[in-house]
Amino acid sequence: MKTELSPRLKLVLYGLLCVLAVPFVFPTWWMVTSSMKPVSDIFAFPPALIPTTYDFSSYADVFRLQPFARQYFNSAYIAAVVTAGTMLVASFSGYAFARIRFPGHNALFLVVLTGLLIPSEVTIVPLFRMFLKWGMINTHWPLILVPIFGAPSVFATFVMRQFFIALPGELEEAARVDGLSRLKIFWTIALPLARPALAAVAIFTFLHSWNLYLEPVVYLSNPSVFTLPQALTQYVDAYGGPMWNIQLAAATLTALPVLLVFIVAQKHFVEGLAHTGLKG
Amino acid sequence: MKRLTHLLAAATLLASAGLAGAADVNLRMTIWSANKSHLDLFNAIAADFEKTHPGVGVTFDSLAFDSYTTTLTTQIAGGNAPDLAWIFETSAPDFVASGALAPLTETLKAAPGYDLDDVNPATLELWSTGGEIYAYPFSTSPFGVFVNNDLIKAAGKPTPAELIAEGKWTWDSAVDLAAAVAANGKAGLIVRDFDYKLWDNLATIWNGWGAAPWSADGRTCTMADQPMADAMAFIHDAIFEKKAMPAPGVSADFFAGDAAMTITQISRASLLPKENPFDWDLVPLPAGPAGKYAVIGQAGIGVFASSKNAALAAEFLAFMTNPDNAAKLAAYFPPPRKSQLTTDILAKANPLLTAEQIDTVVIDGIATGKVKPGHTGLAEIHQAVRAGLDAAWVPDADVPATLAAICRRIEPLLAR
Amino acid sequence: MTADDGSYRRPFWTIERRDGVVGLLFVAPQLVGIVLFVLVPLALVFWYSLHEWNVLANTFTFKGAANYRKLLEDPTLPEVLGATALFSAGLVVLNLGLALALALLVNQKLRGIVVFRTLFFSPVVVSLVAWTIVWGFLLQANGTINGFLGALGIEGPNWLRHPTTAMISVVVVQVFKNVGLNMVLFLAALQGVPNELYEAARVDGAPRFKQFRRITLPLISPTILLTSIITVVGSLQVFAQIAVLTQGGPGVSTTVLVYYLYQQAFQFHLFGYGSTLAILLFVIVLTLTVLQWQMRRRLVFYEN
Repeated sequence: MKTELSPRLKLVLYGLLCVLAVPFVFPTWWMVTSSMKPVSDIFAFPPALIPTTYDFSSYADVFRLQPFARQYFNSAYIAAVVTAGTMLVASFSGYAFARIRFPGHNALFLVVLTGLLIPSEVTIVPLFRMFLKWGMINTHWPLILVPIFGAPSVFATFVMRQFFIALPGELEEAARVDGLSRLKIFWTIALPLARPALAAVAIFTFLHSWNLYLEPVVYLSNPSVFTLPQALTQYVDAYGGPMWNIQLAAATLTALPVLLVFIVAQKHFVEGLAHTGLKG
Repeated sequence: MKRLTHLLAAATLLASAGLAGAADVNLRMTIWSANKSHLDLFNAIAADFEKTHPGVGVTFDSLAFDSYTTTLTTQIAGGNAPDLAWIFETSAPDFVASGALAPLTETLKAAPGYDLDDVNPATLELWSTGGEIYAYPFSTSPFGVFVNNDLIKAAGKPTPAELIAEGKWTWDSAVDLAAAVAANGKAGLIVRDFDYKLWDNLATIWNGWGAAPWSADGRTCTMADQPMADAMAFIHDAIFEKKAMPAPGVSADFFAGDAAMTITQISRASLLPKENPFDWDLVPLPAGPAGKYAVIGQAGIGVFASSKNAALAAEFLAFMTNPDNAAKLAAYFPPPRKSQLTTDILAKANPLLTAEQIDTVVIDGIATGKVKPGHTGLAEIHQAVRAGLDAAWVPDADVPATLAAICRRIEPLLAR
Repeated sequence: MTADDGSYRRPFWTIERRDGVVGLLFVAPQLVGIVLFVLVPLALVFWYSLHEWNVLANTFTFKGAANYRKLLEDPTLPEVLGATALFSAGLVVLNLGLALALALLVNQKLRGIVVFRTLFFSPVVVSLVAWTIVWGFLLQANGTINGFLGALGIEGPNWLRHPTTAMISVVVVQVFKNVGLNMVLFLAALQGVPNELYEAARVDGAPRFKQFRRITLPLISPTILLTSIITVVGSLQVFAQIAVLTQGGPGVSTTVLVYYLYQQAFQFHLFGYGSTLAILLFVIVLTLTVLQWQMRRRLVFYEN
């Protein structure tokens, strides 16, 4: 389908693309601009695309009403630890399932795949009681351990395995003849080649952890240990009414950094995701 | 060398300080207010307690109001129960019956100068079982109507105070007032905290029809009975026909000057604007078809039996609610003490309110008011009613059919 | 004379043996995690579904099949399952359809197409709760969307307060959030279709839509299958959007199974019944995945 398009068709396509882009772009734009408007302007119609009067007081309130910097740190470090941990666990096991013939590898791979069939929502009640027994309620351990080792990491293992299966074997064979150990081969030869797959795993894992909502709501009950998604829903006045502009300021602070990273590195994002082995 | 000894000495000092710190006891009380005036008062009382109890600290943990009981119960389930907690009157049956709370009678009786006999026994009923008190109703607070007279005068209507003087302060005239202000672009009457979710706050209206969601013994649903059907038809009409109350999804704040009237408790007087105040008043609830009535919200404080410092926590509770401190709390939370329910004492505690406001709203309200409806297993019942009522919050709703459907849904839950 | 076969004995640590141990060590962390955080909890969830745990009184009592009887008699459950089916079906159809359309669009040779690709993908990286909160504002009765509709002379509904429009809202908000992901996966698949096939078709004079049906669709069908499995399973896990936008209302019209499970277990603190609902969720996910995998044989085209 790669033919040159007629100018008229091009114009039609551009028009279509612009209209389609509105629901993808407008909410984010509205969030950022409204967070800088006085409350009274938020529901004004037509919405001012650029604020007529700036009011940044809501940004100060974000930090005054909750330990928001602390909550930001919580989300960021949890996502970082989970991403690094998942990349490590998934590349080790993905590599072994793809390249090493060890006893029971097929059966064990099936065991691991059950993680894809059992969403973590199914096991949330027993996990809650287990972490309660281990004294880990109201700590970040459940949000770190389960994603790295449990069901959410299985998808990452699957992606890594698909990648390593497709990797030509000659490089490794040569290294084996030279007497390199498996660990060395994995670490110095296979893993560096797996960058695109690792990028995909990193993106997926980071976003999954960053967006996690049910688990923090279930496990955490003190504002100082809250994560960002949970904190965002807590901007209500003393008696439960939402504080619109403050909520929008907090949402902007949550969304913008990741969005900026994405815009800068969008090529790697898209290419990395295309390498998830989901091409079939 | 000298330096090293200095360092060592410093380290020893630090270590011993750390040990002393470890021996400290911290009591945590969960509350649903995050209001600064409230917190300042609590912290001042806690500081007084810490003076006589060195090494003891008290922290107040504000949880979100609309999910308060859920969050509290999840903390308990997670082995992270606070030492003390505020408890809503509506969930009192759950907490008192569960055995999760420590008995308080002995501690309160033994507290110096406490005078437990001064506490009105009627206020303790909800919080006791088998002759033992399991939580203390530090707040027995009637609902009143806060009024923005500026908005009402601008709409060319008589103020509620004037209507009261004429003996015409009824729900019909209140809705008429609210509709007139709403027609001017502001909001009319807001039942605060209701927001089409916390429906139990509507008791402040339907009690004027003599209606209740379930029978006194809690076993039979009375939502579909005539008083409730009439009251709900009135509320529906006020929202969708007369536009006297904000429709679902429309937010307005009385205390920001956006509405003519709001029904709430006097503790919210702390939200009245200090800069550019409007001409406000506080009046009793209007009379309904069933005559004059009053509604009380209660808030209790309980001590958890599971707390390692349950005895100390009970001691703090006794301190916080002793006659001296109860008089201070009375600024926002009317005490259950007979001796303190006088106009003089309440007026001194609450400089915002006039003697007349205290007389008609607070003292009369406590004397005649009914407590908001509670039930065991309330979370599930509350959600079922809330989901059922959603069908009533549309312009062309079949209100009686909606109420009948709610009864069918909650009857098995009530009977448990 | 005895044969000294010791000289022929292979060393104990053969390459195979060593590989076996190394392989097991490599997969050990994941395996332990799966056992500890997936399989043991799955067994426990069955166990819990036979009990009830009273949080306030802290008692854990055996109830037998009571929770399963409750499941069958629960008057709300049929509505919840209906809402779940409606949500999942709406989401999968809209998401895959729009993703494919967008992928075809951004696969065109147009100057600046990368910009549009970026724009369509951008909601994927916006925090889910932030995205949902913003849509909550836009969908208010007096919100911006109704403002636009009003400018066009249409009186917009109170989106989140009517059962039908509330369901449409949660589906659409979720589609815009994540459709970029499937778009990129489809795009990669489209770019993997060999160009010679199209050239041959053009020589034969096949019209564009026929090329799409006969060449493109069959060749990207494995991707469609995999993305549909992921999207279906993902749609059954939706929680934050519901919790933030509608809290399952109005009525129970947007109470999907996971939200209902959360309500029962963590709001009403009926952990036993919540566990029973979790078993139901597990059975549904399992059935749907097996069904989709079966469909693969009939619908998916493989070159080899």
